[in-house]
Amino acid sequence: MTRLGFLLDSETCIGCHACTVACKSEHDVPLGVNRTWVKYIETGEFPDTTRHFSVMRCNQCEDAPCMEICPTSALFRASNGVVDFDDNNCIGCKGCMNACPYDAIYINPETNTANKCNFCNHRIEVGLEPSCVVVCPTHSIKVIDFDDADNDARRIVDREDLPVRSPEQGTVPKVFYRGANEASLDPLLTAIPDDGLIWADVTLQHPTPPTREPDLVGRTTYTTAHATAWKTKVSGYLVTKAVAAGIMLLAALMVLLGEADQITTVGFVPAAIAVFFVSVTGALLVADLKKPSRFLLVLTQGNWSSWLVRGAYILGLYAILLGGWLLAALLESPQMLKILALPIAVVAASTAGYTAFLFAQCEGRDLWQSQLLLPTLLVQAVAAGGSGWFIADLFVDMPELQVVRGITIAALVANGLLVVLEISGDHSRHVALAVHSMTQGDQRTLFLTGMVGGLVLPVILLAISMIVDSQALPLSCVAGVLILGGMWAYEDSYVQAGQSVPLS
Amino acid sequence: MSNSDDSRYLDEESFYKDATSNAGLTNYPPHDQWHDWTELDAKAWPRRVERHFRLIPTTCFNCEAACGLVAYVDRETGEVAKFEGNPEHPASRGRNCAKGPATLNQVNDPERILFPLKRVGERGGGEWERITWEQALDEIGARIRTALVEDRRDEIMYHVGRPGEDGYTERVLQGWGIDGHNSHTNICSSNARIGYQSWMGHDRPSSDYANAEVIFLISSHLEAGHYFNPHAQRIIEAQERGATVICVDPRLSNTGSKADHWLPAWPGTEPFLLLALAKLLLENGTWEREFMRRWTNWETYLAETRPDLDIEFESLERALLDQYAEYTPERAEYITGVPAEEIREIASIIGAHPTKFASHNWRAAGAGNLGGWQTARCLFFLNVLTGSVGTEGGTSGNGWNKFKPHAPLGTQKIEHWNEMSWPREYPLSYHEMSILLPHFLNERRGKLDTYFTRVYNPVWTNPDGFSWMEALLDPSKVECHVALTPTWSETAIFADYVLPMGVGSERHDLASFETHAGRWIGFRQPVMRRFAELEGKSIGKDSRTHEFNPGEVWEENEFWIDLSWRIDPDGELGIREHFESRSEPGQPMTVDEYYGLIFSEEVPGLSEAAAAADQTPLEFMRDRGAFAIPTDPYVPYERTVDPASVQDCLRDETGVFRKPGTAGVFDGSPESFAETVLAPLGDGSPAVEIDGEIKEGFPTPSKKLELYSTTLAEWGWPEYATPTWIPSHVHWEDLDLEGDERILLPTFRIPTLIHTRSANSKWLNEISHRHPLWIHPEDAEKLEIGVNELVRITTRLGHFVIQAWRTEGIRPGVVAASHHMGRWRMGKEQGRSWGNAQADIENDGSTWKLSRSEGMGPYRSEDPDSERIWWNDTGVHQNLTFAVQPDPISGMQCWHQRVRVTPAEEGDSFGDVVVDTAKSRAAYSEWLAKTRPAPGPHGLRRPLWYARPLKPTAEAYRLS
Repeated sequence: MTRLGFLLDSETCIGCHACTVACKSEHDVPLGVNRTWVKYIETGEFPDTTRHFSVMRCNQCEDAPCMEICPTSALFRASNGVVDFDDNNCIGCKGCMNACPYDAIYINPETNTANKCNFCNHRIEVGLEPSCVVVCPTHSIKVIDFDDADNDARRIVDREDLPVRSPEQGTVPKVFYRGANEASLDPLLTAIPDDGLIWADVTLQHPTPPTREPDLVGRTTYTTAHATAWKTKVSGYLVTKAVAAGIMLLAALMVLLGEADQITTVGFVPAAIAVFFVSVTGALLVADLKKPSRFLLVLTQGNWSSWLVRGAYILGLYAILLGGWLLAALLESPQMLKILALPIAVVAASTAGYTAFLFAQCEGRDLWQSQLLLPTLLVQAVAAGGSGWFIADLFVDMPELQVVRGITIAALVANGLLVVLEISGDHSRHVALAVHSMTQGDQRTLFLTGMVGGLVLPVILLAISMIVDSQALPLSCVAGVLILGGMWAYEDSYVQAGQSVPLS
Repeated sequence: MSNSDDSRYLDEESFYKDATSNAGLTNYPPHDQWHDWTELDAKAWPRRVERHFRLIPTTCFNCEAACGLVAYVDRETGEVAKFEGNPEHPASRGRNCAKGPATLNQVNDPERILFPLKRVGERGGGEWERITWEQALDEIGARIRTALVEDRRDEIMYHVGRPGEDGYTERVLQGWGIDGHNSHTNICSSNARIGYQSWMGHDRPSSDYANAEVIFLISSHLEAGHYFNPHAQRIIEAQERGATVICVDPRLSNTGSKADHWLPAWPGTEPFLLLALAKLLLENGTWEREFMRRWTNWETYLAETRPDLDIEFESLERALLDQYAEYTPERAEYITGVPAEEIREIASIIGAHPTKFASHNWRAAGAGNLGGWQTARCLFFLNVLTGSVGTEGGTSGNGWNKFKPHAPLGTQKIEHWNEMSWPREYPLSYHEMSILLPHFLNERRGKLDTYFTRVYNPVWTNPDGFSWMEALLDPSKVECHVALTPTWSETAIFADYVLPMGVGSERHDLASFETHAGRWIGFRQPVMRRFAELEGKSIGKDSRTHEFNPGEVWEENEFWIDLSWRIDPDGELGIREHFESRSEPGQPMTVDEYYGLIFSEEVPGLSEAAAAADQTPLEFMRDRGAFAIPTDPYVPYERTVDPASVQDCLRDETGVFRKPGTAGVFDGSPESFAETVLAPLGDGSPAVEIDGEIKEGFPTPSKKLELYSTTLAEWGWPEYATPTWIPSHVHWEDLDLEGDERILLPTFRIPTLIHTRSANSKWLNEISHRHPLWIHPEDAEKLEIGVNELVRITTRLGHFVIQAWRTEGIRPGVVAASHHMGRWRMGKEQGRSWGNAQADIENDGSTWKLSRSEGMGPYRSEDPDSERIWWNDTGVHQNLTFAVQPDPISGMQCWHQRVRVTPAEEGDSFGDVVVDTAKSRAAYSEWLAKTRPAPGPHGLRRPLWYARPLKPTAEAYRLS
């Protein structure tokens, strides 16, 4: 079968929304979500004002990040090159929504699965054009057949060197635009004005840059809402996972420092804490699925290219090693701890760090593409582990407190430096807007809470407690609580800010 | 014959794509498989679950374009699964706007009216009981019978919104012998009609956009209007080919934004702009002299306006240049706001493309302004100057491209004149003075015994809705109000009977519109009835469409026949005979017989096409839904007439062949009152001699294009007999623009909604549910209206409160709000649809206040989507605050408003509307005083050659 794409002709599009409605009808798309929509922007000053129309939808990418991240291959490449999906395989992880740089994927509230334009492949199968193509009064939506040199639309694409949306994402879209205003295709060049859209209400889910200046060249006057995919459960999971991983990094360190004999505090306590937090992590992950009952599909039909699957296996392996660690504690075998120390340290670090690779698969979220994310997650894990250590110390005497304090301070300082590096770097406009959202925009309070409450104050408290080194004052424990609370605040600001930049 | 690919001749062209050159894909199921078509289930995919459909064509019932639809009826569930375009339809060519596929929502609307209802308790109280159709027919039929027997025939009135059909109901009223037709024309198109009709007799343009080189729109045909989808297809095709599109509109419509030139002229100054262009064409010598010489009544023009000049063609240029001397580009720039340079550039473009100038005005400036009818008249002047009349790529008359078959329902003459619709003050009105009905009722000019509103919502749509409410609430004015409607509306609330009528896939209608250079008919049919028939059910003469539709939703065709039968069950009133079957006298005619007769006898080429398909013409139409009538669409006025056919005529001194017994020879004598038979269009003169040849000509008294309208002159308006600019009632120079006065444009439409017909579509309302007030930022600053703040718009009658929306897409000095939104309901759980706010209405004397107690929000219904409604805004009902402002000539409601724009005041809430109906009565009197009433020449009420629905006998035109 031939490979297909769309030619969307803004030159002839009259902005009538027939495609939107024909699509809703063909696929029974519920209210609130869209597989295709028409965006309006306005540019220029009276009387040189113009309104531009452009049809927005899945780009049927040659290199589709949604397919790569999809843990269950619910999104798959059909034989005609179309990125299609199978509701029955979707677990509702919403990874695809963040992987897609085009806002093209949504959760269907009827099925709780991820849906998007699939080129009406059920129609293609019987030799019919997609419903949007058929309805369009001005033939502004054309099917490109990349394997037929005589195909009209393909010839136009070849001849006119037409643009695609966000080519810098490297996804190789197969949807081309003719006659579109540059600002129509770049969601960062226009914003929804404060007095709203031309015909429709604006919700918080309507995409608009988190800051207006600079560089805006027009106003978005019609577009549709796109739900934020990942929220507090994801920021929560980052923290619980950091604790689970970090505490075992410290435990492994203790073995290295010759504390393997402390079966209770090096063997039992950290592993118990880690098991608890791994369980919470797993619970959060499952709870965040729109189809939690299908979570086992990740293991039974996992897509190995997805870091959601790799992460699940890492978490699984980590759980097994934790079982071994606990067994060693039960058997009171320092020898066994020594054997397990290195493997568990490696897997714990992987547990903490794999999310960097998962987030990197979110091609739509440029803030998360940073190479600093992996070291950040690792130092956060160490700090979170330290927090666990201090809090545990309330109940049992944990060894090497001063060392752990020192390490934690170092981790926090490193974390702080990494954040400073992250927000002060030379950014693309997308990342700059996300950083703006995080540090000055909607996420500012959370971010500052994370920085001050989660980094600065704990460093001060830990420094004092290092100097004082007294059991009487539970300063380290307070610091631990602050670190975890602050870390959640920071993670949440980071997760939300990453998703705050409009993609359509 | 043209080689245009736009005009579709019989079987000459197909709108089906050839799969071999299109990625192996076609666009529509091949027609021979429509009865058994298999598609794969979209939701089950990628599993292959087959669904089996019957594809049944019908016609969209949303806007007037009447595009083709195909209903996909699922053979397993027996339900309509979706609507797609009909590739057999010559106008829509298989494509649709958003409103076509949205028909599915209208069928499945969880709050639609499914059964006949009768009021319980007070009118407007919101209490209803379900009744049977039998009861409704018996009770309403008995009322009408009594009124007719008592010769109170003017008390029966049928008031129609956009009919969506051609002539069926007019035939019914004729069968009853009453002049009871009332229309919505004067809130819509009166001005455009009289502008066109005063040139060419035809009262609508038919623009051949597809072949045009210059397209000049004073309209927004890429998003609205008659005929949005068919027109948009062809305008864009032409633009792609290189045609220049020019759009005049004070606000940036979608059409304006697609145009090569958007000219935001001051509202009401459009004729000035057009006359400046006309003057430039004359000055530049880029006008078609020969065409003007042959086809305009220039002799009359010279004789009437320039007695000082010789009546020879060479004088014309000088006379015109003299007449339009003041219309210089510089003066036009001052008056219209359009730069002189741009006016010159556009004149050059127009002048460079003779005969290929397609233009259109329907509502817009025409419907907005006092004297707005001169917009169409001055616009068509450019067609005349460029010789682009009826040409390939020019603009034709609707009568040439619209096909209205003779209907087999019997008729009787109407021998009286209904002054409630055709008051003597407006002898030239196009058409009925429907906006004034409540005022006529107030003045006790008459009362209504039985008042049908048919898919018409005057309380909401018309200006001065509180006066309508007052009239409908007063049983001494309106004794019985029957609302024929698919949905709840602000008017149906005040009915005594609410009778549910079908949407596009639930009713029979026949329509034809002048969408392009070609002629066609489109057949609307109840698809479930057709489905049942195809599935082997026999549809006998006793079966009725409501047996197949959802609930007991019926269609008007059968309703009218059955109602007529109840009015005159034994035939003694002479009514029944007009509704009897031809094949079975004494039995009511069935819809099958009615349309079967039309299709087999009245549509050229249809019988042959059906025979070739081995079908009866009715089956052929039920299977295809539309038919292109073979035609040669261009320059029909140039057709040569056989001298033998005009042998009985007198050739007058201007070369017109006058036929005895027609209005063309009417002289006011008692004999001519008695003997004259009126033609539907024109004065009945069949031909005109041009340069020694006998030609068909135009349906005007002169048989030519009337540069000088003798009718306008003779009926009291000589100053407007030629294309002229009449300063609007909202002319900017008269406004206090330094203060807070502004011009409000309250009429513009958007592509996704259609008046009040589309509130029952969730998909359309999701896209569009808000209509903030467009205001230029400069104006907002000057008037101290903050971003997104509430604005109070004060009109002559009161005020409304709306949100501001700053945009560079509007001329400073002008503000605008789309007319679609502002729908409301009284019942908490009735008529919510997807865009109706809950209203509280307070009344104290003549003061009325409507406030919005609840916007839109999620609610529980059979449709899970109603719980997902995410929007709240429903807009403001602005029309309530507008006075009636009928143009004294055309009768058109002059919609634009002179308003004060101020920040909202303490206590104002979004959606508030406050009106004093005493002020509306004062405004009515003031505008009435602008008229120059009948009688005209020969003591007539109206020129005999003017079109009107249900033309009565000439005798009825006598104003005694």
